[in-house]
Amino acid sequence: MRFGFIKTLCVLWLAAIVLLALSAPFITSADPYTPVSDMLQSPSYHPPLGTDALGRDFFARTAYGARLSLSIPLLSTLLTVLIGTTFSLTAITAGRLSDRIILTIANAALAIPGLLLAMLLVAGFGPRLSTIVLAVGLGGIPGFIRLSRSIFLGIKEMGYIDAAYALGASRTRVAIAHMLPNAAPQLFSLATTHFAWAFMGTTTLTFLGLSGDPSFPEWGAMLNSGRMHLIQAPWLTIVPGILISLTILAVHYLGENYADN
Amino acid sequence: MKTNKKIILLIIFLLSISGLSSACQPPSETSSTLNYGLTLAPSGIDLHLNASAELGIPLSSVYDTLVFLDPANGEFVPGLAERWEISSDGLSYTFHLRKDVHFHDGTPFDAQAVQENIEYTLNPENHSQKAATMLGPLNQMEILDEFTIVLVLDEPFAPLLDSLSQVYLGMASPKALKQWGPSEYQFHQVGTGPYRFIEYIPNDHITLERNPDYAWGPAIYSNPKASIERIFFYFYEDAASRALALERREVDVMGEIPPHEADRLASSADFSLSPVAIPGQPLQYFVNTTVEPTDDLRVRQALLLAIDKESIVRTIFGSHSPISNGPLSQAGFRMISAPPPSSHNPGEARQLLDTAGWILEGQDTHRKRDGVPLSIKLIAPDWGSNSEVAQLMKVGWENIGVNVELIIAPGFGALKEIQSSGDYHVIGINFFGTDPDLLRSFYASDAFYNWTGYSDAEIDQLLNEAARTTHVPVHRMELYSQIVRAITDNALVLPIRDYVNLVVTHQRVEGLKFSAQGWFPNLIDVQLSSP
Amino acid sequence: MVSKSHRRTALLAVIRRLLEGVGTAWAAVTLAFFALRFASGDPVASLLSQGLASPEQADEIRISLGLNAPLWLQYLRFLTNLLHGDLGSSLYTHRSVSQIILEQFPSTAVLAVSGLIAAILLGLILGITAAWFGKRASGMIAATIAALATSIPVAFAGILSLLIAGCLLQGPGSANGMLIRLILPAMVLGFASSGPIARVIHSGLSESLRSPFILAARARGIRRGFRLLWHALKPSLPPVISLTALEAAFLFTGTVVTETVFSRPGLGRLLVKSILDGDFPIALGLVALAAIFYTISHVFADLLTLVIDPRLRRAE
Repeated sequence: MRFGFIKTLCVLWLAAIVLLALSAPFITSADPYTPVSDMLQSPSYHPPLGTDALGRDFFARTAYGARLSLSIPLLSTLLTVLIGTTFSLTAITAGRLSDRIILTIANAALAIPGLLLAMLLVAGFGPRLSTIVLAVGLGGIPGFIRLSRSIFLGIKEMGYIDAAYALGASRTRVAIAHMLPNAAPQLFSLATTHFAWAFMGTTTLTFLGLSGDPSFPEWGAMLNSGRMHLIQAPWLTIVPGILISLTILAVHYLGENYADN
Repeated sequence: MKTNKKIILLIIFLLSISGLSSACQPPSETSSTLNYGLTLAPSGIDLHLNASAELGIPLSSVYDTLVFLDPANGEFVPGLAERWEISSDGLSYTFHLRKDVHFHDGTPFDAQAVQENIEYTLNPENHSQKAATMLGPLNQMEILDEFTIVLVLDEPFAPLLDSLSQVYLGMASPKALKQWGPSEYQFHQVGTGPYRFIEYIPNDHITLERNPDYAWGPAIYSNPKASIERIFFYFYEDAASRALALERREVDVMGEIPPHEADRLASSADFSLSPVAIPGQPLQYFVNTTVEPTDDLRVRQALLLAIDKESIVRTIFGSHSPISNGPLSQAGFRMISAPPPSSHNPGEARQLLDTAGWILEGQDTHRKRDGVPLSIKLIAPDWGSNSEVAQLMKVGWENIGVNVELIIAPGFGALKEIQSSGDYHVIGINFFGTDPDLLRSFYASDAFYNWTGYSDAEIDQLLNEAARTTHVPVHRMELYSQIVRAITDNALVLPIRDYVNLVVTHQRVEGLKFSAQGWFPNLIDVQLSSP
Repeated sequence: MVSKSHRRTALLAVIRRLLEGVGTAWAAVTLAFFALRFASGDPVASLLSQGLASPEQADEIRISLGLNAPLWLQYLRFLTNLLHGDLGSSLYTHRSVSQIILEQFPSTAVLAVSGLIAAILLGLILGITAAWFGKRASGMIAATIAALATSIPVAFAGILSLLIAGCLLQGPGSANGMLIRLILPAMVLGFASSGPIARVIHSGLSESLRSPFILAARARGIRRGFRLLWHALKPSLPPVISLTALEAAFLFTGTVVTETVFSRPGLGRLLVKSILDGDFPIALGLVALAAIFYTISHVFADLLTLVIDPRLRRAE
């Protein structure tokens, strides 16, 4: 019962964040880009979270920031899952040779840390939010291939796949109609854990200043720009920091425990 | 058996702790040591070859220059050269050197040394990034006798004395230059200055030690000899860490402190703030005149009018920066008439855009002309406060219906890449300097830093003539006034604020004054009050 | 006495793993070469655009950098040079890349090693507490801290630690300097990396504490205490050891961010700087070295697991 309690908390938190992101224009009238008041005002009645170094409504930036901070890792996770699953499914169903090739390439790519790969891509394409989606997405593919492949391997070793082949199903049909559905729960858990990684990776990249335009409210970038005034206005870093940490915590917890069911 | 193992482990543990603590040398705080904070972690610190201004902070006390620029009146005073004459055609500069100077390694300073220094700088294999360009049309050198040397130019070059007063052309020991070569010399620098160069551990620290033999300081130094025994320089590339470093007493002095942090530190009794105006170009943004829509003068003027400079300066820099209205700072260029202040007038800006055909229709947030939206690519460098300034500029422009894409370029390399590709409308860059010839590198038609793409034969002619006017300073300054007017009339640049270096010092530091270039402290004059 | 056939199998496994490692390292370095080429574009164009070379010099520089040769030949030269330890020279300062890396290496190494030690210690403490004290308050707290350790971004942990240290360590004294410069970053890095270790120990130890062989040990009279702990801990150690080796990957990200937050010199910042500046030789050298280092640590982890695998031992 205790575990159920924590899980509920996690779900509630995530729901709250998503709600924050979706309802941003409704719960605050301020615009996250325009200065409204003097800079570095402490949280008070209005504006609710004070202002940042350029005098912008910090609550508005936090609320709108939820949108970018959630959507970037979401998009890149989608990218990773789609491409990664395609490759690992092919590896398992298309014969030993393709398995060998794909596995070798994935292992080689894994020797370069995902973040480094992402940085290289940002350097190549230029620092922009769209590049970060691409970079985090592509950077996570090798790891995802490895892990999803072992999921598919586990499924393959169960009897009914061989039965499907024996009944004359083609490789593609087996892959799509049999392996995918059976692997779906585990894949989903993997994707969830991967989302946590992507979220962490995104905030690291934006923290390092690779997002291009710092006026876009995004929690990792806000964590970085708040550093300048750490002692004077600590909430500028603490608020995005706590939001990021709790979100990752919640996703991690849910992802790990989902597979246990 | 087990007890012995435990004892051995304990011993190892203790040894490693003591080893670790002795390996890390904490900054010591004796009455004879100063800890100074630098900002950039540069790729090279040989000022003959590298361009970083930051390194002049330690190195301007390691080297002397032929002449020095007096910050009080803008005149040149004798340095390593006792006196000099310039021929009436402006082509020959004869320097009579002091006879009592020797380098830190004991070798004597003479005309031969000057020649070898200049040859080292001009040698194309050494790839000098800045010092070589400062010498202009220098063609040959003639040694008349042991302490007299003539520099011969192809054409008159008025900035030459100013160049020779800069630390980039400080005099190094030819013996050391030869011994170490261009790659390694930076770690074993030998000059004639009031401090000796002891070591440089990249990204970690630089150590200077007092030169007890120093007896040839220029008149602008108050003390004949340095009083502080050792000075350590540490790097703090990350702006957010600088105030903390001062508070933790890791360093006693540091410049480029973010404005709000500087105010906070100065309000305490332990620290004081010395704002130093840095002459040169202001924090500014060039406008690309070769692409639409900024090829239209009205659009450029509108962009300028829509910037609320007062609010920007007040928000980001507090009370510490004068607003800038022209391509040169007010500090250091008093003889050049500054343009009148531009007003913040979004209404007029909107009218200008309407006249230029960029209209706001119905529910649009951005203006359009023939269906094409009015889009500006704003490229800001990632240093200084450019990021914040650019964000506020974007707000001002969005306010008058311009669609702004802001990109912060991470590093000079990235900035230049974007500029080379031509894919920008507004881009930020500025250099510092004490001679107005600085403008030529930015506004001459073929200049490397002509990032506006503006080509005007008259401006070129004025710039060249001013560079050649060696003997009549008043006329020279009048030419620059004309150039500044032309630049302002054509709205080639959006100047925001004059650069003021916020230097915060701990109260134990006294006597800190800065050179005419603004960046470099006269370390010889610094004293420590007893703790 | 381990039988001959067991030994032979083990030896073969080791050799195979080593060969695989070499293959992976080679593949990774190759990927690095081409990825960086793509990322930084033409080095000479970069130099030209920054005014660090004149157009007349462009051809000379191209030849001296070997850029006039076809790409595959450049790649081969890069490989051969790499094997000799020659990583070329910086595009901007012309200093030897290996020299530059060696200079920055000690600072990062010290940080990484102390971070790793802190991670292992903290992971052990948290994992053991969580498993041993199970449902009690201390156990749950330990488990929560371990979960936090994986979720808090390194950057935020670093900033928080600066805030706390700043508040606590007011006043003069240069000893504070050393604390901030080394111990704090190492602790932050250690904390952020301790999560996986804590988790593995927690689950492994919990399981082993419920296992029959522990019950048997207790029946034999080994009371609850350190000896029991040690017996229960032993089986869960192998995955920890291999995990430690794999932590190398996390340490990389950690050092880049930690070096930034605490303004420490090191390879992490050098890497970010060289990638963004377009100093291709430095970036390539670092990425290649990182790839080789990771491969070595993965191979090492696998070999260690092989060695301490109890199944091999029990053949005695």
